[in-house]
Amino acid sequence: MDNNFLVIENISKSFGDNKVLENINLNISKSEFFGLLGSSGSGKTTLLRILGGFEKPDTGRVILDGTDITNLEPFERPLNYMFQSYALFPHLNVFNNLAFGIKENFTQKEIEINVRNIAELLSIEHLLNRRIKQLSGGEQQRVALGRCLIKKPKLLLLDEPLAALDKKLRSKTQLELTTLQKKLKITFVFVTHDQEEAMSLSDRMAIMKNGLILECSSPEEIYENPKSLYTANFIGIANIIEIYKKDENFYSDDLGINFKLNKELKNTKTNILLRPEKIKIQSMNNLKTSSFNSFSGEILEKSYLGSFTRYEIKIKNMIISVLDQNFNSNSNYNFPKGEKVICSWESESIKVLED
Amino acid sequence: MKNKLFEKYFVFSPYFWLVLFFFIPLAIIFKISISVSEWGMPPYQDIFLFDNGFKINTTFENYVYIFSDYYYIGSFVNSLILALISTFFCLLIGFPLAFYIATSNIRLRNILLVLVVIPFWSSFLLRVYAWKIILQNNGILNVILLNLGITSEPLQLLYNQYAVIMGIVYTYLPLMILPLYGYLNKFDLNLIEASKDLGLNRIKTFFKVILPLSVPGIVAGSLLVFIPVVGEFIIPEMLGGSDRLYYGKILWEEFFVNRNWPGASALAFSGIIILVLPIVIFQILYSRWSQKNEI
Repeated sequence: MDNNFLVIENISKSFGDNKVLENINLNISKSEFFGLLGSSGSGKTTLLRILGGFEKPDTGRVILDGTDITNLEPFERPLNYMFQSYALFPHLNVFNNLAFGIKENFTQKEIEINVRNIAELLSIEHLLNRRIKQLSGGEQQRVALGRCLIKKPKLLLLDEPLAALDKKLRSKTQLELTTLQKKLKITFVFVTHDQEEAMSLSDRMAIMKNGLILECSSPEEIYENPKSLYTANFIGIANIIEIYKKDENFYSDDLGINFKLNKELKNTKTNILLRPEKIKIQSMNNLKTSSFNSFSGEILEKSYLGSFTRYEIKIKNMIISVLDQNFNSNSNYNFPKGEKVICSWESESIKVLED
Repeated sequence: MKNKLFEKYFVFSPYFWLVLFFFIPLAIIFKISISVSEWGMPPYQDIFLFDNGFKINTTFENYVYIFSDYYYIGSFVNSLILALISTFFCLLIGFPLAFYIATSNIRLRNILLVLVVIPFWSSFLLRVYAWKIILQNNGILNVILLNLGITSEPLQLLYNQYAVIMGIVYTYLPLMILPLYGYLNKFDLNLIEASKDLGLNRIKTFFKVILPLSVPGIVAGSLLVFIPVVGEFIIPEMLGGSDRLYYGKILWEEFFVNRNWPGASALAFSGIIILVLPIVIFQILYSRWSQKNEI
């Protein structure tokens, strides 16, 4: 696979005194679905706008398919940008919105054919004569997508593509978007603040914070083996425990228990991550507390989520989140509030956060 | 119930205003325009006579008189042309300004808006008079041109139709900028970026996206300039010369100099009808069009 289809090289950007992007480097492969995830103010949208040509970077280059496009105007770039607000033209109907970008270079007949094809692809054939205001949010999203795809771009940039949709429609559209992307084999780069969206859409994703890329990897890798405390907290639910070396083992003051790590540590003091679904929860009667990798605690809060039950378990000075899968359909299976339970985990489930 | 009644009257109060200060005066003007001229005070005869039984005493001669003399029609045509040219220049200067103001950041925007409105803080008459001082033969502009050696003798800048157009464009520009700004302020700038992203350069984006979506603002601003300029009296009087006669001036002379009240009223009434009817028709067609296009 061509690993250098889109190369982002040393991109920096400031607005006045405000440094928005600092020395960003990214390589994105052809046909990759790439996510930029970060909270507001992380610089993700500015980076996407630089790729689109709406902002000029202070330093650095953007190379697309071997061509330096850094100084090209938006209308000269072989890529398209889907706006968060969709930015559909209110004075044109759906047909003319779709045809907007190809009117110049195509004959009337070619325009007809292209618009019909793209409308069919997105199942919006029945909407072609509608005005934009007559469309629902989901329909508008499709028109915005179609208006870009009709140009057969080398790269499609999407700014919060699902943010304007309601929750149910969002998960349906998520699936459609990935299917479409795999079918068309166009490189997609999108921006989102929603970690679930980033995880479900991306082949690879980059976590951004304060104008820096903290990590760039597959969603699985970032969830299971985050490198930084920020990423661990940002993606999913995280139990972060501070431990320090004590004799042969590691000890947590907050939990008052010993940890056994199957890995040598650089520092004598560090944070570890324990994902809530990695923790096994058992009744006190079944087992005795072992001195390693387990603790007993009291159930403080409990919320039933259908396929899972989430427990907040208090032990000493800390509250630990545990997700327990509901294997058994008997509701009595769940532990009641206030019950004392034993939690345990495998040594491999403990992830050391180096930064 | 009482509140509802109050609301009803409150909502209709602008119409009450319109009837009191537009339709009633208009009816009076119409009444005078069909009266018979007379040497006296007032200089026309009553239209209802009762001395020898009831008699209606009206005439359309005043209309025949003004429509058969090119002096009157010509001045009206001059005023229409003046209004068209002035509106065009107001739009040409006002649109980029309004667009710039609407798209600049909030601090700069407020400063620029105040600058647009500031001229209203001084008297209209004074502002026009100031132009007279600037443009006259020994005025500041001629002094600069002479000293720079661009011209060897003072240019005749004042008392011609160009001075009139300049004065009108200067005075009416805020009336074009403000409604345009009102519409452009709501303009989604992403639409411009979307157009560029889809391959249209700046000029094409202007004609395919910005211009069609600005039509309501352009119409509002243009009407606000065009209508009062047709009847404009002060500016042609102060800055204009004898090269061109305008409707407002003719009307004034007919009324105050010739003391031909019925003739002047006929002129005023015809002017209003000629001006208002097409605009009303245009507004109806335009609102249908914009409803269809949802702008």
